[in-house]
Amino acid sequence: MLRSPRALLLGALLVSTPLLALDYRIETFSEGLENPWAMAFLPDWRMLVTERVGRLRIIETDGSVDPEPVAGLPEIFIAAQAGLMEVALDPDYRDNRWLYLSYAHGSPEANNTRLARARLVDDELRDFEVLFTAQPLKAGASHYGGRIAFLADKTLVLTLGDGFDWREQAQNPANHLGKIVRLNRDGSVPPDNPLIGQEGAAPEIYSLGHRNVQGIFFDAESDRLYSHEHGPRGGDELNLIEPGNNYGWPLATFGIDYTGARVSPYTELPGLTQPLLHWTPSVAPSSLTLYRGELFPDWRGDLFVATLAERSVRRIRVRDGMLAGEEILFEELEERIRDVRSGPDGALYLLTDNPQGRLLRVVPSE
Amino acid sequence: MSSKPRLLLAFVLAVLLASLLASIFQTQTNLAALQALGVPVPLDVRLGTTGLDLLGFAPTFILLSALGFLVALPLAVWFVRRMPKLRWPIFVLAGAMAIWSALALANAVAPMPTLIAADRSPFGTLGLMACGSVGALLFGLLGRQVRYRTQPTSSDSL
Repeated sequence: MLRSPRALLLGALLVSTPLLALDYRIETFSEGLENPWAMAFLPDWRMLVTERVGRLRIIETDGSVDPEPVAGLPEIFIAAQAGLMEVALDPDYRDNRWLYLSYAHGSPEANNTRLARARLVDDELRDFEVLFTAQPLKAGASHYGGRIAFLADKTLVLTLGDGFDWREQAQNPANHLGKIVRLNRDGSVPPDNPLIGQEGAAPEIYSLGHRNVQGIFFDAESDRLYSHEHGPRGGDELNLIEPGNNYGWPLATFGIDYTGARVSPYTELPGLTQPLLHWTPSVAPSSLTLYRGELFPDWRGDLFVATLAERSVRRIRVRDGMLAGEEILFEELEERIRDVRSGPDGALYLLTDNPQGRLLRVVPSE
Repeated sequence: MSSKPRLLLAFVLAVLLASLLASIFQTQTNLAALQALGVPVPLDVRLGTTGLDLLGFAPTFILLSALGFLVALPLAVWFVRRMPKLRWPIFVLAGAMAIWSALALANAVAPMPTLIAADRSPFGTLGLMACGSVGALLFGLLGRQVRYRTQPTSSDSL
């Protein structure tokens, strides 16, 4: 439960919206966020929220947005899909105050995803360190990935994208386009990464053959690393990530190009890992979490996928490690959902993706 | 049939020919890229994919090439009337520039860097432009026949 009484939350900015479903209600916890992208819960029950336009905001426990963005952010390339993306706290944040940021770095002609960390001290970023920059730098402002998760050994995995125009490079182990990379928290490469020792391969690679991975979650209880990625027209995928595996893009896909052209004649090929499930037509999955809270006992252990195109959250039931059906939630909002997280109070938190974005809190209706 | 409907028919056929060729070109360049990555592409797969792209991709290219031709072909006719000896080079250039312009416009408007996969490389862009040239040449050929039939005493004034 929240340290502050729930009345504090309810008495502040909360605007409850009655819903058709009787088992939950959605409250507006914060508003006035410009294209918020990611959120993280601080130990003092405040929250950090990134805005793609290059701001890191602090959300107070009553839902109010600190008017002063967190100082100390680096220069960020902002255009189309590029900007400030993920914020994630170090597994030992209480001791070391490190937080990790992903963002687009570079210029319109030469840019890619960058990972950095800094300490949050007195609501400012200090000791800023660039840990990793995906290579090669490329033109355009599409497909950055940008989500972060920590594995059981406290190493970090960062999702990346293929930059849209460079889809074949997702199969090239010599670079980071279309990959998930694994790093130590100081940016060094773990010695047991799967492609270490393979001549010409980028040592940071953890898995390859991805298009644009905007959801990743490590479930310590089951020791599983789930991710999802955007397909083109159709072919959005939920994957179970194993080190060194090739997830097939663009050799095999259930999607076709936006122009109607085939990306590949194949939906599967030997040596390529099939998705756990795929969404065709596309839902545009933007964030992934696994619910372990107490407020919704029926939801415990289920995956939740925020979607942009479908304007929903997909609940994927997981029973005994197997997917057991899907449920489409929160369509009544009719808003693009950019992030979904399981909060420390047991509520489910959502970020809506628009210039007047909101932080929403889903709680039981009773 | 008067010349205007025939010119319209020539325009439509030019768009269709350019789009047919562009679709086939798009498919083959994409399959070549997959083959380079070790993906097997036997003949039945190649034919099937080509057919699916004719159904799925060609309509997109019809829109793009029609947009480009709508500007380029009347301009080409205007130039041909003034420089009849350069008739065929003018249509070749007009068709190529029509496609190049339509692709550039699409890339500027679309959220992704490059809308059509084949357009991601200079070779692919040139190939698509060549398809536009062939379409424009067909228009020039049919247009000349229109002119002969409607005004048999006149030479190529289109």
